[in-house]
Amino acid sequence: MATILGVDDSASMREMVSFTLKSAGFEVVEAVDGVDALGKVAGRPPVDLVLADVNMPNMDGIELVRELRALEGYKFIPILLLTTEAAPEKKEEGKAAGATGWIVKPFNPEQLVGTIKKVLG
Amino acid sequence: MYETRRPDPRPALPGFESRKRVWDAQHDRYAVKISPGGYYVTNNDEMLVTVLGSCVAACIRDTKIGVGGMNHFMLPVGKDRRDDVASDGNRYGNYAMENLINSLLKQGATRGNLEVKIFGGARILNSGTDIGGSNLEFVRRYLTDEKLSIVAEDTAGTNPRKVLYFPASGRARVRRVRSVRAHVEATEKRYLDDIQNKPVAGEIELFS
Repeated sequence: MATILGVDDSASMREMVSFTLKSAGFEVVEAVDGVDALGKVAGRPPVDLVLADVNMPNMDGIELVRELRALEGYKFIPILLLTTEAAPEKKEEGKAAGATGWIVKPFNPEQLVGTIKKVLG
Repeated sequence: MYETRRPDPRPALPGFESRKRVWDAQHDRYAVKISPGGYYVTNNDEMLVTVLGSCVAACIRDTKIGVGGMNHFMLPVGKDRRDDVASDGNRYGNYAMENLINSLLKQGATRGNLEVKIFGGARILNSGTDIGGSNLEFVRRYLTDEKLSIVAEDTAGTNPRKVLYFPASGRARVRRVRSVRAHVEATEKRYLDDIQNKPVAGEIELFS
C-alpha cells in the first residue's frame, strides 16, 4: 500500500485530503508545514508521494519541493502541489523547483485519486 | 458649502487591482462591494459592503498589521452524491474560506492574530431546506477546526442584511434591509444555480 505525505497548514483541508486518500486505500502521514514535513520524512523510508499545499507559514510548498529534491531518497518521488494559487508565475516556480504537478483547489476527490494513481504508475 | 475632498485611491493589493472602488462621501473613504462568490482583501482604510440573505460573509483581519478582508458565499446543496467530509459543499466552502485566509496570510498576517466576525445565514430562499442554517453550520465548524474564534456575529433570522465592514478598525455595521428581499432572493437563486451546475474542481496539470 502506497504511503502519501499530506502537507497543509489548514486543519480542515488536511482532514478532507486525508479522508479522500485513506478512502482510496492509501496510508497517509500528515504535516502542518514544510518544516514539519521535513521532520516527518527524516529517519523513515521515503514515502511514495508527497501532496503539499503552496502557501504555508514557516516553509511554503515550493521551498519544501526544493528541500526534498536535495535529499537522496526524494530525487524522483512524485511531489504534487495542491493550492488555491492559480497564478501562472507561481505554477512555473513550482515546476522549476522540481514539482511533478500542480492541482488547483477545490480538488475533486475522484480526479485527485485518479491523478495520484496515474503518477504512481 | 462644505465638501469632502476625494483623494486618489491608494494602490490595491496584488490580485485585487481590477476591483471597482467607489468613493463614499458619507463614510469619507473608498467602498468595495463584495458579490456572491467573491472576496476582497485590503491594507487600506476602505469600506467593504455586501448584502446577505442566506449567504454568509466572514470578515477577517489581522489585528496587528492592518490587513483585512471579506468573503461572501453559500454552499451548493442537493447535488452531492456523497455525504462525507469531502462533499461538494464542504470543499466549496473550504475553498471560499481558504481564499480569504490565504490572501491575508500572503500579506503577512498570522493565524494567531486573526479576528473573525460572521454575518448572514438568514432563512430567505423559499425552499424546504434551511440553506442559511447550513451555511452557518459550515462556517462555525470550519472556524472551530481552524482554531479561529468568532468575536462578533449577526446571523440567522429571516431578513436580509446590509453589512459595512471597516477592516482597518475591525468595526462592522449591520442593517436589516427588508425592502430588498425580492432582489436578494433572486440574486442568491442565480448564484446557487451557478455553483450547483459547476463542478467543484480546479485544474490539474502534470509537468512531465
